[in-house]
Amino acid sequence: MLRAGCQLLTQSTLPTGKTVGNSFALEFVRWRRKPRWLPVAKSKMFRVPERKKQSEEERTELMRLHNQYKTQLRSVRQFLREEVVRHEETSTADHIVLTPEQEEAEFQKCLDANAAWNAAIAKERDQRLAKKREEKVAYIQERLEAQQLREEERKEQANQRVLLEIERSKNYITRENLDAAIETALANPVDHNFAIDMAGNLYHGRSTSQLPDATPEPNQQVLSN
Amino acid sequence: MAQKVIKYIGRTTDFRGNTLWELVSNLPNWGVGRLLIRNMFQRYPEPCYMRILKVQSVDEQPGEIRKVRVTVEKTWRGVTQPKPVEIYSTSYKADYELVPQDQEAKYLNNKKKVEPVILPTKIELPPLLRELVSEETGNPNPQMKVHYKLTDNKMARLAKDGEKPTVNFALGVGQPKPVSAKLYEGLL
Repeated sequence: MLRAGCQLLTQSTLPTGKTVGNSFALEFVRWRRKPRWLPVAKSKMFRVPERKKQSEEERTELMRLHNQYKTQLRSVRQFLREEVVRHEETSTADHIVLTPEQEEAEFQKCLDANAAWNAAIAKERDQRLAKKREEKVAYIQERLEAQQLREEERKEQANQRVLLEIERSKNYITRENLDAAIETALANPVDHNFAIDMAGNLYHGRSTSQLPDATPEPNQQVLSN
Repeated sequence: MAQKVIKYIGRTTDFRGNTLWELVSNLPNWGVGRLLIRNMFQRYPEPCYMRILKVQSVDEQPGEIRKVRVTVEKTWRGVTQPKPVEIYSTSYKADYELVPQDQEAKYLNNKKKVEPVILPTKIELPPLLRELVSEETGNPNPQMKVHYKLTDNKMARLAKDGEKPTVNFALGVGQPKPVSAKLYEGLL
């Protein structure tokens, strides 16, 4: 500053005719201490800076405060990290951000709808099965009755045949009446020869009989199919 | 034999002793079974020492203090670690000291232990975050879980069910320990 002051004093002695702006100059002092290129001062050559020792109460208190702060900050960061993870999960799945309560409510609503569907379908299934069961019962009943009728008819037919055979058994040739039947057959000869014309008429009997006792007489009879 | 007293001039350091290589290289059988301490850890009232289990030498690097790989059984503030620990990255520090065999009992018989520090499992949210979460969820006083990862050298742990925490984590400065109470004279 001393040089600046000298400069100002020099300024005032100049003639007033010159412009003040052009000739004014201010010079600053660059270093307030020794310049950088000078070596260590002799008074500082062997000075060893003292290492300050922290007091015990200060160290204890700072440690307590820092421990508390670090734990709290770590918890906050973990809290925010979990928040981000939850946000990503919810937004990616549905493109809708749902809180855990809303998600639970949505899930419960789905469960209720599912239960209602199940109940309705169960009712329909029960009705269908009941109807099918009734139809089956009726069908089986019908089959049983039909079977009974068939059985009775078969018995009736069998009975008829038995009665018919009983009736015919009166004319059977047995050992007892074998001789009588032979004599009856010999007394009544049967001629199986016959003639037939274009209209299908039968002409039994013959003109030249081989049997000595036969009566030659034409007998016309229509051939039955 | 007692350490020679050396008067150093210049900048000071808290380290006192020898490097690990200087110790183990001069011992028979690389000092396996001997007890080591670090003078920096002797500031605790609880015992901190290491027992040498295995030594593996490493070649000397030019311009550097020589290092060595030493596997030790470490006891930290009265708690012995379940697994051996390898010392390598800190083996250059001139802070190691060999415990004379007749003085090993002084460390082994020291049964002091740190009082357990129990942390709460839930604490309050910071003010602005509490306002946001309260507005969003409707809960006037939301809480967040304390995130605390347990490692070997840590002495605190989270509270179990029904356990009362010994540390208060209320917002604000909290209550200082008795030794530091005078720092808050006129403030609290």
